[in-house]
Amino acid sequence: MIVRDRFRGLFPKYFLALFLAVAFPLVINGTIEAWFGYRDQRARLDQLLGVQATSAAAEIHNFISDIASQLGWLVQQPWSDEVDEERRTDALRLFRQAPAIVSVTLIDNNGLERLHVSRVGLNRIESRTDRSAEPALVGAHARQVWFSDVSYNRGSEPYLTIALVGNRSAVGAVIAEVNLKLIWDVVSAIKVGETGLAFVLDRPGRLIAHPDISLVLRGVEETTSQPFRAIRDAIGPRAGFATSRDAQGRQVAASEAPVAGPDWTVVVAQPLSEAYAPIYAALRRTTVLLAGSTIFAGLLAYAFAHRMMEPIKLLEEGTERIGAGSFEHRISIQTGDEFQRLANSFNRMAGELALAQQHQERIAKLKRFLAPQVADLVDRTGDDSVLDGRRTDVVVVFCDLRGFTAFSAGVAPEEVMSVLSEYYEVLGRVIAQFEATLISFSGDGLMVLVNAPVPVEEPALRAVDLAIEMQKRVQGLIGGWRSRGYNVGFGVGLASGPATVGRIGYDDRLDYTAIGSVVNLAARLCASAADAEILMDAGTAASVRDKRALEDIGSRQIKGFDEAIPVFGISCDAL
Amino acid sequence: MMAGAAAWTTSSHAQKPSLPVIGYLCPESPDLFGSRLRAFHQGLREAGFFEGQNVAIEYRWANGQYARLPALARELIERNVDLVVAPGGAPVALAAKAAGATKTIVFEMGGDPVQLGVVDSLSRSGGNITGVSSLSVDVSPKRLELMHELLPAATTLGVVTNPTSPTAPSQLQRLRSAAETLGVHLQIMSASKEDEFEAVFASVAKESANALVFTSDPYFAFRSKRLADLAMEYGVPAITQTRDFPMAGGLMSYGGDFMQSHRRTGIYAGRVLKGEKPADLPVQLVTKVEFVINLKTAKLLGREFSASVVSGADEVIE
Repeated sequence: MIVRDRFRGLFPKYFLALFLAVAFPLVINGTIEAWFGYRDQRARLDQLLGVQATSAAAEIHNFISDIASQLGWLVQQPWSDEVDEERRTDALRLFRQAPAIVSVTLIDNNGLERLHVSRVGLNRIESRTDRSAEPALVGAHARQVWFSDVSYNRGSEPYLTIALVGNRSAVGAVIAEVNLKLIWDVVSAIKVGETGLAFVLDRPGRLIAHPDISLVLRGVEETTSQPFRAIRDAIGPRAGFATSRDAQGRQVAASEAPVAGPDWTVVVAQPLSEAYAPIYAALRRTTVLLAGSTIFAGLLAYAFAHRMMEPIKLLEEGTERIGAGSFEHRISIQTGDEFQRLANSFNRMAGELALAQQHQERIAKLKRFLAPQVADLVDRTGDDSVLDGRRTDVVVVFCDLRGFTAFSAGVAPEEVMSVLSEYYEVLGRVIAQFEATLISFSGDGLMVLVNAPVPVEEPALRAVDLAIEMQKRVQGLIGGWRSRGYNVGFGVGLASGPATVGRIGYDDRLDYTAIGSVVNLAARLCASAADAEILMDAGTAASVRDKRALEDIGSRQIKGFDEAIPVFGISCDAL
Repeated sequence: MMAGAAAWTTSSHAQKPSLPVIGYLCPESPDLFGSRLRAFHQGLREAGFFEGQNVAIEYRWANGQYARLPALARELIERNVDLVVAPGGAPVALAAKAAGATKTIVFEMGGDPVQLGVVDSLSRSGGNITGVSSLSVDVSPKRLELMHELLPAATTLGVVTNPTSPTAPSQLQRLRSAAETLGVHLQIMSASKEDEFEAVFASVAKESANALVFTSDPYFAFRSKRLADLAMEYGVPAITQTRDFPMAGGLMSYGGDFMQSHRRTGIYAGRVLKGEKPADLPVQLVTKVEFVINLKTAKLLGREFSASVVSGADEVIE
């Protein structure tokens, strides 16, 4: 079998079925696993970013609340009218402890400014300006701690004003300006994965803190803050992280947490490539495993399909050989399954076919000299011993054309053959009709046997009727031939008597024949018969005398016989 | 001090053609500038650059002769350096800018770069220039205030200014307005050369003013040792912008943290080398203004700091 055929017939179907049976569940399983893995990883990432955002917010909140609590120490003592040197010491000490504080203003219980110390500007002591109406103080009185909106010093550094009142009105209030640039220390220390970062936005969405200080210094500019605000807006109020793009256009996973007090938002953002790295790794793993299993499934399917194809191939080859006539071929399959049973039944069939063929061959041989119906009969008995040699009474019929040799010499061979084939066609039909045995024909002559190998009832009568029918039919032909100018006639001779009959010849060239003087007699009678004449010997005549009108022609000297023999004729119109 | 000298010598054979080159325009000598240069290198390292490994530095030293700065700046530009670093004050930045550098300039100064016309605004420099300001110029009045607090009875305080400094007029203006608030008179004295220092101290000893407030000026800052020695010699309480002064035996200092400003200059230089545009790098102001006092000197001068001043000092030398 050539390889091309392998990919047409059953093989691809088997292969596909087996492959799908293995690969399909694998793919389904892999896909489901990947999906759940993806969901788990997302949930983990969500949790991770959420925790990081919360802890970042807590750190930012600590930065602010540390400052607030340090400011709280400045509003512990009730104010008197005296200049309070101690408070100035406290305020200056605060500068050292809280580097983010740029200036501190202390307000007494009447809302008058008592002390203002600054890192850059001049200090003011006991200026006693009324600041009670300022929003910072109003706000602090309402909420204890008040945070201003973020302002940008000289359009660059983010500043926050914190106002704080003590636990009773006598201690007054403190207002501090805080340089938020110092949150950098906090925000740059927050690590989100490998390359992730945290940043802080105020309520309107301006950048307050970012590990890259140069961005913070331009936080007031719309173009700087907008990408960060976009990330915050992408997260929105819903739970879980969101994906967005940062200023460089990279995809990031981001989560946020609020900073209580100043009402800011801390956003932690991690490049998506990094955040999803475990997801991608898991997917890659699944894909590689899947690809490997699929290839394995393919190989397995190929091997199985190949194994299944093996007996089918043997069957196919076997049946082809049996079909081609090698009935002795046997298909050898020992799989113990349907294939083996199928092979066995093919083998049985091949045996039966061999028998059938032998039968056919025998019939064909018999039909060469027996009438078809007789041949069938002989075959049905399954015994061709009827063809064995024996001695029996037979009627021998000879016939041939008169003047045929002269005719054949005068016309074209095609014409000769055409005449002969018409002639034999007619005679063959008659022989078959009377179930006579054709012994031989040569040229225009023909020898027919009746009562052998199969005995018949009244063989002489059948032979006479056969001769009459032959003569009648051939005379019909002769009429036509004569009109074409062919001068031929037809004579028949028959004789009955014992003869030795049987098969002669060798191998496939076997003939049935009769040997005895009766054969010679019939041949001689035929030779002496004139056109349209049927001559028979006395034995035959005696057998049919009562049934057919015979004509006693008298004794004739027959070649090969010492004495004259009585010869009888019968008209071809006698039947 | 040795690091600066070492850098000076390594630079000559570190000129691998593939390395980016920083032109370092310095107003002083390697000796005086050593601490600043170390801070700069630290910042550069933080940004991932190591001299001789992935960056070469071409140094130009004015050795205190500020008049040479424009010529040195032009030299660097002719050498086609990738970046000009102009540390140590407004004159350096202005010289670099005036030399018409097409490459980026990263400056370090104590003055207000907007007021000096070096940049358009802090957040948008508006050119190929950016840098760090240490705020020292802004806090000149604070120095007057601190001196006033130490000598509340003094009616006249001496102020030393460098007339060659581009920031001198604005500082004087601020000081006069502060003096008005504080209710003191100012005696303005000038010094632009080292040999003029002694005259200043000598005159204080004679005049009514009995203390000296130095304006923010790199020339003064880099000569802290000399100023401290003179102050001690003449018994004059003095305050300058840099911690070098009290460290060297001076009374006190108040000014921006130069370590921070030079370190950030190094970081910015590194970021520019990495390809960031100066337009994307806003001018930074240092966050730390430090106040350093020397109690030993105070005792020697027979002065005493109030408790609040001591508690507010970032560093107290005893």
